[in-house]
Amino acid sequence: MMTTASPAVGTDTVAASAWWRRWLPTPKMLILGVVGLVIGYLALVPLYYLLWGTFFDADGVSVAGFERAYGNSQIFELIGNSLWFAAGAAVLSLVVGTALAYLNVRTDVPFKALFFAASIVPLIIPGILYTISWILLASPEIGLVNKLVEPVFGSGTFDVFTIWGMIWVEGLHLSPIVFLLMVAAFRSMDPSLEESALMSGATRWQVFRKVTVPLARPAIVASILIMVVRSLESFEVPALLGLQNGIYVFTSRIYFVLRSYPPDFAAAGALAVGLLILAIIGVALSNIVGRSGKNYQTVTGKGFRPRPMELGKWRSVVGAGIILYFILTVIAPLVVLLYTSLLKYYTAPTLNVFKTMTLENYRELIGMSKAVTALRNSLILGIGSATLVMAFMAIAAWFVVRSRVRGRQVVDQLAFVPLVIPGLVLGLALSFVYLRSPIPIYGTLFILLIAYCTRYMPYGMRYAVTSMHQISSELEESAHVSGASWWQTFRRVIVPLLAPGLLAGWVYILVVSFRELSSSILLYSPGNEVLSILIFEQFEDGEFTVLSALGVVMVLTLILLVSIAYKLGAKVGLNRTN
Amino acid sequence: MNAFKAGLVVASAAALLAACGGGPPTEGGGAAGEPNAKTADYSQWLELTGKERHDVLVTAAEKEGKLSLYTSLSAEVVDELADAWEETYEDIDLEIYRASGEEVLPRILQENAAGYGGADVVETNATEMEVLGNKGLLQPYQGDALQRVPAEGKFGTWTATRFNVFAPSWNTDIVKQGDEPKTWEDLADPAYKGKLALEIDDYDWYMGLHDYWRAEGKSEEEIDKLFQAMAANAKKVKGHSVMAEMTSSGQFGVAASNYTYIVEELKADGAPIELEPLVSPVILRPNGAGLMKTAQHPAAALLFKDWLLDDGQQVLQELNMTPSTDLEGDLGGTDHVMLDVEKVVAENEKWSKGYEQLLSGSAGTN
Repeated sequence: MMTTASPAVGTDTVAASAWWRRWLPTPKMLILGVVGLVIGYLALVPLYYLLWGTFFDADGVSVAGFERAYGNSQIFELIGNSLWFAAGAAVLSLVVGTALAYLNVRTDVPFKALFFAASIVPLIIPGILYTISWILLASPEIGLVNKLVEPVFGSGTFDVFTIWGMIWVEGLHLSPIVFLLMVAAFRSMDPSLEESALMSGATRWQVFRKVTVPLARPAIVASILIMVVRSLESFEVPALLGLQNGIYVFTSRIYFVLRSYPPDFAAAGALAVGLLILAIIGVALSNIVGRSGKNYQTVTGKGFRPRPMELGKWRSVVGAGIILYFILTVIAPLVVLLYTSLLKYYTAPTLNVFKTMTLENYRELIGMSKAVTALRNSLILGIGSATLVMAFMAIAAWFVVRSRVRGRQVVDQLAFVPLVIPGLVLGLALSFVYLRSPIPIYGTLFILLIAYCTRYMPYGMRYAVTSMHQISSELEESAHVSGASWWQTFRRVIVPLLAPGLLAGWVYILVVSFRELSSSILLYSPGNEVLSILIFEQFEDGEFTVLSALGVVMVLTLILLVSIAYKLGAKVGLNRTN
Repeated sequence: MNAFKAGLVVASAAALLAACGGGPPTEGGGAAGEPNAKTADYSQWLELTGKERHDVLVTAAEKEGKLSLYTSLSAEVVDELADAWEETYEDIDLEIYRASGEEVLPRILQENAAGYGGADVVETNATEMEVLGNKGLLQPYQGDALQRVPAEGKFGTWTATRFNVFAPSWNTDIVKQGDEPKTWEDLADPAYKGKLALEIDDYDWYMGLHDYWRAEGKSEEEIDKLFQAMAANAKKVKGHSVMAEMTSSGQFGVAASNYTYIVEELKADGAPIELEPLVSPVILRPNGAGLMKTAQHPAAALLFKDWLLDDGQQVLQELNMTPSTDLEGDLGGTDHVMLDVEKVVAENEKWSKGYEQLLSGSAGTN
């Protein structure tokens, strides 16, 4: 599934004479050119739209938007809150995601398969549901966990409506992105380096700090980059948890300026431009870190067999810790979801409530006319965009990391641009372009596919680039020496080596595409509904119980899909081929 | 290789500019004034009345065969309406684009700017309808049904189909009988400190209540004081559904400004939430329907609007909504004040900002 890249170019059919060949671009140039063009096109359409809206008004160039966006006495408090929130969530997700990935890939920890699926569950639960589950668990007034510990610690021990609560929920919700990135990195890492350190008398902790972490640095930097930008952009958690006690963040402002009529695109754009500058610096930094020599190239010509580290007597302790962690962060919210899905309205659990439980919400779900269409469309879009993005980004990653073309960094920067563009602006930009396109794309599923590919390009790129940093160029060189063409080398050597990273990116995009709403809602048309639109409708109607049922079904569907993907992926990955 | 890179940048920029036509995408892409697409001719039908009008419209609409509705009605209501419509007019396919008002409006403006006639009828909030009307995109309506719509539901280019009713609601486990708010002023009572919830987007409610108090003879200072006391009592929440859910689950004691139909639905399910006796007066905000000048299926559009103000009203009533043609009957004698829709649109920024500042506690009310 992962190896189907852009149009195959026959390499051995070029039989034309020399002068003819000189004018024809080589297949390599052609492929790189097409990929570069596609990335540029996808990124520049919304960027152009955003910048135009930011800097131009009826009278020409203007920076009034910046004044309206930043000229506010509260802006420093907003930025302060945002940075604190983003940094906290990034650190939490990094620690949690990395630890889980390390234990899963590199040790003989028990319950591995279950462990893997459970690690990505927070990603699958729609943000709004995950946040509400946490309100029901840890609100000082009604939180179930608070009720549970009340006899010991008194009332209102945990308060989810604080900046710490926000960090907790956002950090856990984002941790699967880190988990997937780090899993890919650890899978491509030669454990002999760690083993040598151990043999030389280093403790396990020293090995982790001095060998493992430095080797995984490109993946760690990529994680931090994505996490910080994502948390700066996040709105669901700040809106549901922060607003209650008046903790405003950056995105609250974007929300407010886009809400009124006419929407203040200039001010929203000015805020997005701030994020953009931050992101560009981040990408540049991560490439400097990733590029410094061959330090991270752990996949080299030497064969290695990733062998799990034996935890010994710690195995049961770590196993118990993992179970505790999952009960707290995955099972508890899921149970709340499942519980709510069996009720007519949310109420704290009592014996009486259990007697009145029904499957009515699931019945309603089945009866929903659009549910089947929406599920089908979401599957087509999810699998389609995940496959296209990872195929293109694999080539783009080679271009950025391996080629010596000057300005290759521009491609990397461009691929990252969509991350900072608000979904609504992306939707407007795309409808603006395709309403005028001679090819009838507006009103079809294709416009959603384009939107999804644009939105997920930044993630695909980070997953692919991170993996590419780990692969030594000597493998390609030997393929070349043996007479393989660039395209052959790419397909037969690079793609299989990149497989863990590509698969991780693919899974990530598939999963999050199921809940993309902000641009879908503007671009779908009757008959093209997707699941996230149904979720939004249930949410708007206040049908939380049906919504929870839908959430449970989504979690199950995606767990199934992810498991299949991993079964298939394991065959092309590094695990079995060595 | 360097040339390759330069070519790449130039080519992508060129492709982009060609696609955009270099156009200015600000303001939701809409140029004010007249529709850009071909306009439909409604005049042949608007003057007709009674059975003749209905029969002529049905024949013409069946020939058109299709109807495209853009709406922010909730999915449940839309589904019921669609079922009822299909029962009566099975040969006229009803296609529905459903999103919130904030998305319906830019979508229509964007389509219009490109000369694309996507919608035949629009049904959404007053504010968005008013903007569409001001932009000259709506065909003024004429018909028998108008006689049943009260004066406050008739607007130049569109007609109210239903009213959202703002009223306080409360959790019956937290607010004991007798302690519930009886007037809007009660919400400022310190007894509700930490229990009250305000919705962050309800600046129209804020303006409506302000105007009502002004009309009652309160001074700006008195009104400011009341709102600030309310804000000091309040937790903030986004979305009326979340507000209702959090009220019934006990996170909030009193929700200041929920829509009555949302609360009624939860109440009907047995949740511990109550809104009666209703605070007097309740504040009404119209939602309405308008005919698009650029409709591809004008006969079907007109037929639908006639139907929505007639048989469609019953469907709305059955779903706890307040239909525009039976306002008094639905409210059962409760006093009401109507939101000044034109004012909300004209002074949008002032009230939206003022409410935002009130909630963030940084300044006076306006």
